[in-house]
Amino acid sequence: MNSTDLSAILPELALTALVLVVLTVDLFLPRGDKWLLTPITVIGLGFVGYACWTVWGLNQTVFAGFYRVDDLSVFFKVATVVIGVLAALFAPSYLSQRKLPLGEFNVILLFSLSGMFVLASSSDLITLFIGLELMVMPAYLLAGYHKTDRYSNEGGLKYFLLGSFASAILLFGISWTYGLTGSTRLSEIGGLVSHGPAGLIAIAMLTVGSTFKAAAVPFHYWTPDAYQGAPTPLTGFLSVGPKLGAFALLVRVFAEGLGVSGADWYGVMAVLAVLTMTGGNIVALAQTNVKRMLAYSSIAHTGYILAGLAAFAHATDPAIRSQGIEAILFYVLGYGVMNIAAFSVVGMLQRDSRRFGGLAAFAGLAGRAPALAAAMAVLLLSLTGIPPTVGFFAKLYVLVATVDAGVAWLAVAIALNAALAAFYYLRVIVYMYMREPEADPAPIDRSPLTAFALAISVAGVLLLGLFPDPVISFLRASAAGLI
Amino acid sequence: MTGWPILSLVVFSPLIGVLLILFVPSDNHRLIRGIALIAALASLVFSLRLLGYQPDGAEFQFREDVSWISAFGMRYTIGVDGLSVVLVMLTTVLSVVSIFYSFDPIQTRVKEYYATMLLLMIGMLGVFVSLDLFLFYVFWELSLIPMYLVIGIWGGPRRIYATVKFVIYTLVGSLLMLVAILAVAIAHASAGNPFTFSYEALRGFGYADTLQAFAFVAFFLAFAIKVPMWPFHTWLPDAHVEAPTAGSIILAGVLLKLGGYGFLRYSLPLLPNAAVAFAPIIIGLAVVAVLYGAMVSMVQPDLKKLIAYSSVSHMGFVMLGVFVFNTQGLQGAVFQMISHGVTTGALFLLVGVIYERTHDRQIAHMGGLNGRLPRYAAIFGLFTFASIGLPGLSGFIGEFLVVLGSFQYSGWVAAATMLVVIISAVYMLWMFQRVFFAVPSDWMRRFWPTLTDMTRNEWLSLAPLILLVVGLGVLPGPVLDAITPPVQRILDIVNAAPGLTGFNLPW
Repeated sequence: MNSTDLSAILPELALTALVLVVLTVDLFLPRGDKWLLTPITVIGLGFVGYACWTVWGLNQTVFAGFYRVDDLSVFFKVATVVIGVLAALFAPSYLSQRKLPLGEFNVILLFSLSGMFVLASSSDLITLFIGLELMVMPAYLLAGYHKTDRYSNEGGLKYFLLGSFASAILLFGISWTYGLTGSTRLSEIGGLVSHGPAGLIAIAMLTVGSTFKAAAVPFHYWTPDAYQGAPTPLTGFLSVGPKLGAFALLVRVFAEGLGVSGADWYGVMAVLAVLTMTGGNIVALAQTNVKRMLAYSSIAHTGYILAGLAAFAHATDPAIRSQGIEAILFYVLGYGVMNIAAFSVVGMLQRDSRRFGGLAAFAGLAGRAPALAAAMAVLLLSLTGIPPTVGFFAKLYVLVATVDAGVAWLAVAIALNAALAAFYYLRVIVYMYMREPEADPAPIDRSPLTAFALAISVAGVLLLGLFPDPVISFLRASAAGLI
Repeated sequence: MTGWPILSLVVFSPLIGVLLILFVPSDNHRLIRGIALIAALASLVFSLRLLGYQPDGAEFQFREDVSWISAFGMRYTIGVDGLSVVLVMLTTVLSVVSIFYSFDPIQTRVKEYYATMLLLMIGMLGVFVSLDLFLFYVFWELSLIPMYLVIGIWGGPRRIYATVKFVIYTLVGSLLMLVAILAVAIAHASAGNPFTFSYEALRGFGYADTLQAFAFVAFFLAFAIKVPMWPFHTWLPDAHVEAPTAGSIILAGVLLKLGGYGFLRYSLPLLPNAAVAFAPIIIGLAVVAVLYGAMVSMVQPDLKKLIAYSSVSHMGFVMLGVFVFNTQGLQGAVFQMISHGVTTGALFLLVGVIYERTHDRQIAHMGGLNGRLPRYAAIFGLFTFASIGLPGLSGFIGEFLVVLGSFQYSGWVAAATMLVVIISAVYMLWMFQRVFFAVPSDWMRRFWPTLTDMTRNEWLSLAPLILLVVGLGVLPGPVLDAITPPVQRILDIVNAAPGLTGFNLPW
């Protein structure tokens, strides 16, 4: 380790320092002033974001090859910061209504973000695994954060057990990989597939382990319960943060490590993508609880993103391969913003803690809270993929990548699935705009902080949909290093 | 020619209205209505400037071209040819009419209503002026959601079923079309061209026959569902029956034309080989649509349903005219679109007039209205005749030209469609007779004391449509002159196409 190593990991250092600051300040703040932790976290994350910017263009491998600060990792880190800021803004009101501690939440959240940072920058399977665990361990805690709530306990426990199981499979895959190739460096495992059946077993286990984390069908069973049980704004984070991490993992292992043998695993990814989007959508159709519906729909979104990876694998032309990765990057960012905000709206309707986010809570919302209903409508249209929103452009990016890579059938599958998804997303709009409120309507959380976070999310959803150029040039530069 | 971005003003004037309405308190109905009407009128006034279109000038006039999303070569390119001009005019006129007409009937959630109607207007106008396929798609989807809300919020008892059906049907088609648009743009780019969605660049590129076949099917689904073409029409009667009157006017008057316009602007010039190969099937479907729509219209008990099914029949004429690939057919198709927009828009408005008074549309519940509401009867009669295609009114020109065009294609097709001209007279006149001359039903008699003839607002809403239906019938020349050059361009492309040689259709 030397000083260049340290300057390359400035964002990680800044984030760790922030965790310590929040932890310490929390100890000394009187109970009435805990709200200060939110501005500290958000401003601190702003500094972390700035630190990310300082390592942009550095493209350096540090710590004897275990860690790599390339532009791709910078993109993931910036997206992580965005999601972290939104999570920190959305949660406080919901938590304080339930008398859940804010300090611990911020600390756990920041720890999870640091795991995502490590994951994004790993150039070795060992680092990758450490990053993954650092990301998901806090996530288990967040799922079970409402410790007096039975559903939260159940969700947290399920998430933990199944997540650990998946980690074990992934770890097993890593050890097979090491056994066969003699290396854990991502840059040296490309020949894995040439090792016959043993190589295939290794790849299969890596696939299962990583798609488990991304909640792909048929490895998605933990998702709905974990998402439903967790406190709603935290669910929002769980549905986008660890997913971003999982895709960082998938990109690192498959695109970077096994990219040369893309043709060998293209079929698996394509089938998983179609299974995931279709399965998620079909089950989401049957949900009457919006929180659960969003949980299943997040599975469907995993499917769309996986299609980007399949497009990468099928293509041979570097420019087209890059497009597959860009599509993944754009999608995880756009999805992150819109989904966390959508969950927060569900949370805003749960001021009365006996409400579980049923569709009925949305009935007549347009009359009771026009601005909130309009914001939710924009988010739902974005999740459906209607222009001019970021959700539309994200789907478009995946469609371009798949069609360009010569897998138009995947594009058709995405298009049909998007129409299927429209059915349940628009159903919420039907409730908000076309039905009368129930006799005893759910009280609405009108905290200014949540409203502010929602407003910037909706503005982001529209702006990124209308003018995605700056983000695209950023992520093109990020993906370029990988190809 | 001024330096003003006239087309952008036409398209986005309603947006200014939307933004203003957002800041008006929701109980100030007068101000909201006033802003909405002024915004729509502004768009109409700006669109009058498009009458300066020169048929023998450049293909697309009033062009504007600004880079938008440079990463994928998407541009804000808009411009109009004769085809766009007439449809833009139709849209602005019908939008103003429907917004003005809504003053009395719409009393709930007024603020949302006018904001939605103005957004709908933007979407529709945008579709007709886009010269970039991506921009076109954005506007296309933009026109979908407001209509979804209009039917779903201000519609009848089964509005939610109807509107969900409408939106899902349309989305399936349009999402597949998006894939086709991308496939076409990517095929063009992979031949070494810069990545672009520009209509003028993509048109005339020799796409591989396999791509043409698949892309044509995708475009076809999107447009055929919108038209709607038999057998993709089942959403239409539901949507019309549940939609509020103004929604029906826009739906029948303009939204269906988006489909017809799509065929003319995109399917034919972009994918001529596939268009030629698929033409016989589409003509077959169109003939079925023409006959089926008319037959089903005869047995409808509900006025709105009857007019909805007659739309299926009339739009079948449009499809027939488009795919016989000759000048008369295409001219007839475009003229029929305009005429159908005016006539059917007016008919739905007239049904709305009686519905406002009785809250019923059952033909069996009517009768004897001629004696009670003579002015209403006279106007209804005028548009009934226009719908049948009586010479001197606008409906005649379109149908006559289409039949003329289809006769050149095949005598049998022409004969079958001629038959429908008779059936349409049967169902329209029979309906007219039952509503206006039959012995009044007991049900209707209850309303006798309170039944009033048309109000001033209703007259004012109908006045432009009356002028148009007579004016176009007597003087079709200007419209035909305007649409002849674009029609000729389409024909030049299509008639030079050899059909699919590199791809065998499964029949």
